[in-house]
Amino acid sequence: MLALIELSSPKGAPWEFLVVFAVLLLGPVLFRRAGIPGIIGLLVGGYAIGPHGLSLIGAGNNTLPDLGQLGLLYLMFVAGVELDLNLINKYRRSTISFGILTFAIPFVLGALVGFALGWETLAAILLGSLLASHTLITYPAVKEAGLASDPAVATAVGSTVLTDTLALIVLAGVAGSVAGGRSSVEVAAQVAVGLVVLIGYSLFVLPQLAGWAFRWLGTERAVRYVVAITAFLSAATVAELFGIEGIVGAFFAGLGMNRLVPNEGQLMDRIEFFGGAVFIPVFLVSVGFILNPSVMVKGETLGLAGLFIVACLGGKAIAAQISARLFGFSRSQAGLLFSLSAAQAAATLAATVIGFQLGLFSSAVVNAVLVLIFVSVLASTIVGTRASARASSPDGPRPLGTRIVVGLGEPELALGALTLARRIARADGGVVHPLLVVPEAAPFAPREALARLSEVVAAAGVDGQALTIVDRSVLHGALRVGRAQEATLVLVAEPVPDDDAQSTATPLAAGAPQRAWERSPAPPVAVVRGNADRLGVVRVRLDDDELESPSIAAEMARRVASGSAQRLDEDHAEWSELLAPGDVTFVSSELGDTLGKLPGVGDGLVVSTVAEWLIREESARDTPPEVPGDATLG
Amino acid sequence: MPASRSLRPLALAAIAGALALAGVGCANAGKGAAGLFSPRTANALTVATAQIPDPGFWAGTFAHPTGGFEYGLAKQLAARLHLAHVKVIEVPFHELVRGHLGGADLALSDITITDERAQHLDFSTSYLRAPPSIVVRPGTEVADVNAARDLHWAVQHDTTLKVALERSIEPTTQTLVFEHQREVLVALEVGRANAVMLDLPVALAYAHESPHKYAVAAQLQSEAQLGVALPQGSDNVEAVDSAIRALKAEGEIDRLGHQWLHANIEEGAAEEVPVLRAEE
Repeated sequence: MLALIELSSPKGAPWEFLVVFAVLLLGPVLFRRAGIPGIIGLLVGGYAIGPHGLSLIGAGNNTLPDLGQLGLLYLMFVAGVELDLNLINKYRRSTISFGILTFAIPFVLGALVGFALGWETLAAILLGSLLASHTLITYPAVKEAGLASDPAVATAVGSTVLTDTLALIVLAGVAGSVAGGRSSVEVAAQVAVGLVVLIGYSLFVLPQLAGWAFRWLGTERAVRYVVAITAFLSAATVAELFGIEGIVGAFFAGLGMNRLVPNEGQLMDRIEFFGGAVFIPVFLVSVGFILNPSVMVKGETLGLAGLFIVACLGGKAIAAQISARLFGFSRSQAGLLFSLSAAQAAATLAATVIGFQLGLFSSAVVNAVLVLIFVSVLASTIVGTRASARASSPDGPRPLGTRIVVGLGEPELALGALTLARRIARADGGVVHPLLVVPEAAPFAPREALARLSEVVAAAGVDGQALTIVDRSVLHGALRVGRAQEATLVLVAEPVPDDDAQSTATPLAAGAPQRAWERSPAPPVAVVRGNADRLGVVRVRLDDDELESPSIAAEMARRVASGSAQRLDEDHAEWSELLAPGDVTFVSSELGDTLGKLPGVGDGLVVSTVAEWLIREESARDTPPEVPGDATLG
Repeated sequence: MPASRSLRPLALAAIAGALALAGVGCANAGKGAAGLFSPRTANALTVATAQIPDPGFWAGTFAHPTGGFEYGLAKQLAARLHLAHVKVIEVPFHELVRGHLGGADLALSDITITDERAQHLDFSTSYLRAPPSIVVRPGTEVADVNAARDLHWAVQHDTTLKVALERSIEPTTQTLVFEHQREVLVALEVGRANAVMLDLPVALAYAHESPHKYAVAAQLQSEAQLGVALPQGSDNVEAVDSAIRALKAEGEIDRLGHQWLHANIEEGAAEEVPVLRAEE
């Protein structure tokens, strides 16, 4: 019987994928147990299964390198889309300074090494540029440690744009000078035009296209995810059309999509899940795949590698130390700067391979760079792990748009409120959670209600998780969920005016502290009356005492109108008559006065902040205050 | 002990190690990023080849080569390696593929890169795609592999072409095997054979030079490539390899193809030659 069974040796795609996924599964686990960072497990695993190890996957295999390339683009996209642009803007001085230092010092040292070895000018310059770039290999670990918004991390991540772009410009210039006999000026002009087109496409066209796709292709998880993948691949393609490396395009696509993909949204959750589970680890395995210890340990290779390591890691360390002193960073933050900027992989590998193809580099140089990549990843991971453990996560006030809960009773009548919420959240890369509040007395039909809610949420371009709760009023339900979700703002759409509230309403306390919402334990609340498919003129009517200090109403108006809200003063007593369909007016006078002037549905929108005393009163009626876990439907 | 202090010895050891390696690297100064070439004869690149003239590839004589794709390539290599002269010597093909280069630095002689030959030679990266092709007298049709099988064949001894003929065509009649390529072509001209197997770039060059004598009927599906052959273990492989890659990147190899093979072998004329169908 056994003689009839003919087994063949494993081969083909299923076998190759099995081997790769076994490395993804076991590599990090085994190495972490030995006290070694999991990233090293992926690199060593890649070597073990590769042509220079056990040869379970042969040298001619393109599947793993291609998947690795996709993983690299994915990594750069994630780095761009996760960037806190407000933070980058806040630390732009340190970002630019560190970017220049961490490029210039290794570049000069690398070029000097090349000249000292008697290399051609182009080869020496290319060596300098490939040592000057870096890849954010340790960023996932730093982020996991809760340090994504640390000033040093924001500085290092932001500087990646500068260093990799400069390095890839040098690469394009060298490649253009060698191939095709074009002058440096012609090459520089092409790269400059390419960058302009790429930035225009990534930061202006792509967000429009993606926003349109999110609204019109629906809220289906798979569709939104594929839109994001398509977006960064398209930007990478645009970059390569101009001879710019695809990773630059993927990074800019991430920046362009940054506001559309809130860090706490469902889409980001999916992007991070697939990136962390498959794409980015596969990239690391593919880097290990090309390691060849037998060549790497040759005397000539190791000698070159030693020079590259001194020039690269030495230059990166000097840049990190200088920047830390310039900007008052602690030692652990200096370690984070070094860790994030020292790891060599993507741009370095791309430049080296191109240098090899152009005949500028021998295989000894390529293998020496592979040694450098291995050592740099090891050093940056060890330093990053230590520095992350010592650094404390920043605990600053959360911006107004970080997490907004929109309470609503009728999904169809809440499009305007959701659109407003999306605009308010967008400035902070925040997320909007729509909350359907079903009155206690009403028949509960969650499927139908959620289906209708999904349509409205898609039309508003909102990415947060839809929630439902049964409560006595929309305001009350929104307050409870807002507290439970640690919201930074609660918007209540179409509330039923409460007679008591109208009659007892009093003005907000005079002399409210500046930006009080950032320090208050309870989230600020505003009611939205009216509905609109799209927003028109934005106005804000402030009380006299609010003209001196920022209020929530003014802040919301600024965000919704992108800074161009019309300010109404007390002369505009009949401000509600100015409302046309789609127009929106933010008011922060007392609730009773405001509610009395609310228009009918279809006349426009009025957003009124709610007095703190009313919030406290509503909250005090909670028994118990917690939201049941099973009240959340998705 | 604070973490930073526990790291210090490790960091110092790593820096010391890197500096020591850097010292080794400095000792290699002068080898160049692309590798160093040491010629056997001072200031000259000595090139071995089997046949001159070889249409398209070598023109003139061994003493006075005057042109051709591989001669042009030799001159470009010499310039790239900072050598003033090209010296050409004759070595039979079967000697070349066994690793005997007659004291030359390298061989340029339509040599296809194979694993078997790599046991005796070191190869550079390829410089030309060269699938086997079927050359016939004008007017002879080769519809498919069945028709090819019944032809009378001639092929050069010790070549990848002979192997390709035996494996892909499996002729039904005795194949004529010759020592030299020119004898193979003479057999075709005089009618002793009605089909011969040549590398595609060579076949296209012959057909271009003597269209009344030769026509390229078909090519075989193959990834065969021509490469520069060097003595096994030569220290010059890195430098020659880098030079070939640079010549490709600079477009010099394309230019030589246009000048001497009258076609861009990589893209143009080669695609016009039909691939031999397996069955009718």
